[in-house]
Amino acid sequence: MTRASVRGSGARAAAQVRPERPFARFRWTVTVVLLALLAWSTWSVDATWGRLLQAPGRAVGFVGTLVETASLEPLGVALEAMWESIAIAWIATLLGAALSFPLVFLAAANLTRSRVRQPVRQVLNVFRAIPEIVLAIALIPFLGLGPVTGAVAMGISSIGTLGKLSAEIVESIDDGPLQAVEASGGGRLERLRWAVLPQAMPEIAAFWLYRFEINIRVSAVLGVIGIGGIGGFIAQAVERNVFERIGLGLLVVILATMLVDAISSRLRRRLIEGPSPAAQARRERASTGGGPTGDDAA
Amino acid sequence: MIEFEGAEVRYPGGVRALQGVDLRIDDGELIVVVGLSGAGKSTLIRAINGLVPLTSGRVTVGERTLPGLDRRALRELRAQVGMIFQSFNLVSRSTVLNNVLMGRLHHVPLWRSLSGLYRAQDRELAMEALELVEIVEKAYVRAGNLSGGQQQRVGIARALAQQPSVLLADEPVASLDPPTSHVVMRYLQQINRELGITTLINLHFLDLARAYADRVIGLRDGRLVYDGPAAQADEAVFEEIYGRSLTADDVLEGQGGL
Repeated sequence: MTRASVRGSGARAAAQVRPERPFARFRWTVTVVLLALLAWSTWSVDATWGRLLQAPGRAVGFVGTLVETASLEPLGVALEAMWESIAIAWIATLLGAALSFPLVFLAAANLTRSRVRQPVRQVLNVFRAIPEIVLAIALIPFLGLGPVTGAVAMGISSIGTLGKLSAEIVESIDDGPLQAVEASGGGRLERLRWAVLPQAMPEIAAFWLYRFEINIRVSAVLGVIGIGGIGGFIAQAVERNVFERIGLGLLVVILATMLVDAISSRLRRRLIEGPSPAAQARRERASTGGGPTGDDAA
Repeated sequence: MIEFEGAEVRYPGGVRALQGVDLRIDDGELIVVVGLSGAGKSTLIRAINGLVPLTSGRVTVGERTLPGLDRRALRELRAQVGMIFQSFNLVSRSTVLNNVLMGRLHHVPLWRSLSGLYRAQDRELAMEALELVEIVEKAYVRAGNLSGGQQQRVGIARALAQQPSVLLADEPVASLDPPTSHVVMRYLQQINRELGITTLINLHFLDLARAYADRVIGLRDGRLVYDGPAAQADEAVFEEIYGRSLTADDVLEGQGGL
């Protein structure tokens, strides 16, 4: 049975005034601006949009050739190159994480007053604004052209995003524990260690992993300019028109990236959500069953 | 001993949370502070450990007097005063034991607290504190996995791990259901009786105040309007403190009836 109305006796309703539906000015403005930008950018780039229509047909032909000619013979070389790209990305991520870490707390509004925070944020913004490829090229005179250049370029570039987003994670923590540490006589560093880190660290570490996934792609791209790795493998193949290598190279990049993403995203989920209920229960049983783990203090 | 002398707190917005409060609390007393929200209960309690600075007047806790303490002395004072919060303020991702060990921060060298390499005797003390509130079996469980009542017991254990001479509890049962509220209040009362720790508890419910306090202090608009034995704090007194007649919301047993 359904009721037609929720009016009740109507007496309460009569005593109240219904508000007028507000005009969603912000939403309208955003919509109009976005559409205007789209129209403007479409006309101003002077592109031959017609090619987009032909592209699918050509792509099918191209992929067909790649698949037909792909050969497994240079697989060893390709995998080695991919491994190099991943290694460069890993070093770059650790570098960026290590360099950004101290800045995170200086950039967080709940920990640092604005006189210090604002300049730190600006520094992070500068790092964020420079594309990796520009940094890499700028570093060539100092570091030469090789994996080190790539790792340093990506590492520096990662500082910006890692620092800024980690600072936002820190800003979103519950400040109750901060107050608790303060109330128990703890100082600044102790607040960081016992109230901030336990709350923010899983998410920050998860973000490092995410940045690693991104850096693998960037590392493959930088390979094209000569830092080594799978990008170089593909670039050389394209240059020399060795079709069977192009197809294989692309395949290796796609599969390796997907594999790393899959592993990394599982790790990230575990970091953020904590142990599964089953694992937690096991742990609880183990710790209570075995008695309090022994400190033999008097 | 804790002594307020002409204590005033005026917040930046102009709100006068405490006005000319004179108050003497002897060692080992269990005091419940009552008043409507906004009456200054929280401010009164937080003035004792300097979380809220006085704008005039003084508070003396033991041999230290606020204001006028440097950072170091303030931290020493705070180490001596344990605090329990309405929303527990535990790190929910950390284990119960690590939360309780926060209470040892001030008692160990900085390198130990930062590295987490607490001495065996600090861990032992934390375990003993957990035993006192009968929750030691959860020592290695994440605090966030506990119920509200259990979390508040961990909050009490954390305060006890400081080996404090004063315990402050700011609305410790406001987030709990009635039966759990009594459990938590009983632990606080036991701790006061057995360890002789001077205890101040902010409460809203008059039946809880009467059941557990030795002495009741009433605040209204930042002024001390009642100070007397709990036994004498009858409904007329509470109506006086609240400045209105009592309702079901003012008694714990009137809560959660549905």
